[in-house]
Amino acid sequence: MYTNAQYIAFNGTNTGIRCDINGVTSFVPIDPANTDYANIMALVAAGELTIAPAE
Amino acid sequence: MSIILNGTTGITTPADTVTGNATVGGTLTVTGATTLTGAATLTGGIAGDVSSTGTLAMGSSFKRNRIINGNMVVDQRNAGASVTIGSSAGTYTLDRWCAQSVNASKFSVQQNAGSITPPTGFTKYLGVTSLAATSSGSTDYYGFFQAIEGFNTADLAWGTASAASVTISFWVRSSLTGSFSASLTNSGSNRSYPFSYTVNAANTWEQKTVTVAGDTSGTWLTDNSTGIYLRFDLGTGSSFRGTAGTWAAANYYGVTGAVSVVGTNGATFYVTGVQLEVGTKATPYETQIYSDQLAQCQRYYRGSTPVVVNPVATPSTIFTNSMRTSPTLTGGGTGFTIISQTGDTTTCYQTSSANQNLTFSAEL
Repeated sequence: MYTNAQYIAFNGTNTGIRCDINGVTSFVPIDPANTDYANIMALVAAGELTIAPAE
Repeated sequence: MSIILNGTTGITTPADTVTGNATVGGTLTVTGATTLTGAATLTGGIAGDVSSTGTLAMGSSFKRNRIINGNMVVDQRNAGASVTIGSSAGTYTLDRWCAQSVNASKFSVQQNAGSITPPTGFTKYLGVTSLAATSSGSTDYYGFFQAIEGFNTADLAWGTASAASVTISFWVRSSLTGSFSASLTNSGSNRSYPFSYTVNAANTWEQKTVTVAGDTSGTWLTDNSTGIYLRFDLGTGSSFRGTAGTWAAANYYGVTGAVSVVGTNGATFYVTGVQLEVGTKATPYETQIYSDQLAQCQRYYRGSTPVVVNPVATPSTIFTNSMRTSPTLTGGGTGFTIISQTGDTTTCYQTSSANQNLTFSAEL
């Protein structure tokens, strides 16, 4: 289960997504081959998850 | 010239020479040295040792097993502790083995659950214990699988007319008996081959072997995505079950009518020695050097890795050589941020320098 998703950035460029995966804070790379990233984007496409912009 | 031996006729004259073809329809026993200068086909086994002064060419490689951690030795995540499977499309348990349950708390997975003696030659097994008497709905799924990376199945040429056969072998022990099921499926979930195997006696280790003719249809990925799923069915619903022994354009996890492990509270299902190899012959389990097997597992997951993470002025670079792809990371401290990632390195920083135990997951 993916919750509390937010982009993280370095020098103004998004470098990953911080989110809770089954309650554990995790850092997911922006990489379509990464299974977590693919799952997150599928949830976003389905309207079931929103990724907050980087702070 | 040809000599045809169809019975137990022996050749006792030392000088007998066959310059043409020889076909032996019965049993041929050679007690002395034998020199084969041409091609020879042996469809039976060789009981003794085989020596060669030349090159030994094989139809399959010495790295035969496409399953990683088939002997269930590596358990980085849980170190032998029991895991109750939640309601999830996938919960990794022992390395490379992922459990699936549509409902939470229906079964647990533990390395060497029940602490029984593994089959000879093995020290570990994956143990499933049913935690309830669950009646499966038609679209429910219960089971576990290994996703084999496409790079490791590309040579099978599945999806083409040249698709190679594979043979799956494993040891199984269950408190239940009857016809159980498993399957091979593709990453697109639109090609599958359910197959049955019979557990004849309760609470007894039995070795099972199934040969599958390669799929000449469908799309089977050959890169760092999933090439083939090998799934063990624990009581999946009817929508995910099909006819045994045939390829289907469907997503079948098991066989219609197969035993449901989750259907009986307290039922056990143990497995080890899982091997999937090219060809129609099940060879003995291919034991790996432990460090090699751990390295194979760490392409997909690295357990708690102690590193010093520095502030942004001197960011830390962590080497995770040859992970499948950029990994998901857990365990960062306050202000933890990733600067860049590949399968080989992660560059990151956090608010203040501190030791962190990081984990990296690039599972399929």
